[in-house]
Amino acid sequence: MSDPVRPGATAAALARQPAFWIVLALLAAGAIRIGQITTRFLATFPIATITAIALFALLAVPFWLFVSELDFLEREPAGLRVVAFAWGGLVATTVSIPGSTALENLIAKLGSPHLAADWGAALAGPTVEEIAKTLGVVAIVLIARAQVNSVLDGVVYGALVGLGFQIVEDVVFAIGAVALAGEGDQVQPVITTFLVRGFLAGVWSHTLFGALAGAGIGYLVVTPDRGRGHRVAMAGCAFFGAWASHVLWNSPLLRDGLGNGALALLAVLVVKGLPPLLLILWLVRRAHDQEAAYYVAKLATLRDPALITDGELRVLGSGSRRAAARRHAAASVGRRGRAAVRRLQRAQARLAVELSRAPAEPTEDTAIRHRAEVRTHRAALESLGHPEAVEGVRSWRHTVSTVGTTAVALAVLWVALSALSG
Amino acid sequence: MGTVTRRQLTDLPGTLGLPLALGLVLVLAFLTFGLPLLDQAVPAQRPVPAGLPYPVGAGVTVVPPPGATLDVTGTRPGEDRGTALFRVGRVRYAIAVQPFDGDLSAAAVRLRQRITGTSGHRVTGTQLAVSTAGGLDGVQGVYSAGGRDGRYAVFVAHGLTIEVTVSGADLDLGRTLPAIDASTRTLDYEAGR
Repeated sequence: MSDPVRPGATAAALARQPAFWIVLALLAAGAIRIGQITTRFLATFPIATITAIALFALLAVPFWLFVSELDFLEREPAGLRVVAFAWGGLVATTVSIPGSTALENLIAKLGSPHLAADWGAALAGPTVEEIAKTLGVVAIVLIARAQVNSVLDGVVYGALVGLGFQIVEDVVFAIGAVALAGEGDQVQPVITTFLVRGFLAGVWSHTLFGALAGAGIGYLVVTPDRGRGHRVAMAGCAFFGAWASHVLWNSPLLRDGLGNGALALLAVLVVKGLPPLLLILWLVRRAHDQEAAYYVAKLATLRDPALITDGELRVLGSGSRRAAARRHAAASVGRRGRAAVRRLQRAQARLAVELSRAPAEPTEDTAIRHRAEVRTHRAALESLGHPEAVEGVRSWRHTVSTVGTTAVALAVLWVALSALSG
Repeated sequence: MGTVTRRQLTDLPGTLGLPLALGLVLVLAFLTFGLPLLDQAVPAQRPVPAGLPYPVGAGVTVVPPPGATLDVTGTRPGEDRGTALFRVGRVRYAIAVQPFDGDLSAAAVRLRQRITGTSGHRVTGTQLAVSTAGGLDGVQGVYSAGGRDGRYAVFVAHGLTIEVTVSGADLDLGRTLPAIDASTRTLDYEAGR
């Protein structure tokens, strides 16, 4: 499911595209609207607003790093990642605020207030929000088709659109909670919102739904050998999956929980959030492995151990093995070894992308430059006494660290659940 | 995989960038402006049976004023909370019920903070005690909102806070307030309802 990589559009080429200016205008309009809302929040609840922005911005960092690292071999340009995030945070939110309210009102008018009370948030929000977010991935395709070469690219852009939406929506909800509490400019409702929406519900929220819908758009554009009907149907299925996951999460099902206490709250979170999480993780893994196999096969044709050894070919295609190789270097020759392995892996990935470019394109100089770059990093690694970026034997320190981190995460989760259910 | 074929180069969306971008704008415009226009085109007000208690939510009921209609856009009944929005002519009469673990003075402070937290709204006059026919004790007061005036009342009972807000132009309020006050006095809590 990977396409040959074509050179990214230059700034001049982008400026000649009407779609680019349309997307830019939409981002500007969204920025103005969200800016107006933020200004109003700051005027009424300055401390709570600044706290909410700071907390949720911090929450965005690990998500951003994780999503950006998903496609290690063919990283998306930072500019396009920013556009995707901004679409979610500025355009999709601006559209969703009036659209979702209007749709929920229509459910109340055409159905009943009872129906709107029970299912309004479950039906209106997902319908408007998923459309607005998915159009963000379409916008990326319109302005930079050359940068969408695999289903995984669609996943990354979709997840970033979802992340932008999630962060801005969380800030809006946090300030809404402050206003509802009626206790003035207090941060307590912000902290509660952060625990619930950021910490407990953050993993299976808009980032996840956006990734699924983005995978569909990725499939639609990178599989031209399939019939158009088939591709549209697959994209439709992915969108429906994102919508259905969102509906399930917002639905009144299990609203009263499975009893009282932290365990019951955890059970509800797992029942509603885990199925889509597992589905999307499986999809991401599959897309990642297919893309990795494609690029590793390109590197294998070089048959030059100075550029990549057999052991490194095995390592480069797997995220966990790449990380294990970096840990092994750190254990053998220290932090500089870890950094050197990371630089070598990045250079090898860039070379793989270069090799995958269509042969008709005049990239000879670039290919030579990328090979030289790999050799430079190889030499740096060798000078540290660590000639090959491969995995070592799993160390007891890593096992202890993994178990310890998991235990701390579970303890924090338990404390949060207990505080909220109490 | 392999080289770029003609089919790839002429495939969507490469050749249809502008039309697709305009289509994207149209969809966004429909969501942002079209849906609200459609919402406005469908009437929101429904008749309510005269003289009968209307369930607001969480077991709280109220007998709406004569001639009042129910605005379904502000009405969300529920088992542990709920809202009801009535229109009496051009006057807005809203009741909100939600779980609350504080006392009456805390509930009153909270409601006043919410009122004054809205731009242009300020509480005027003093706060007076009020009670319903069913024995719920509360307080009521007055606020102004730009060219409109408002009344608020709040009651606390059975782990719930019941907040009443009434707003409208001065003349309209003067005509409808007696009926709305009479309606507010019918607020009641029925366990298990």
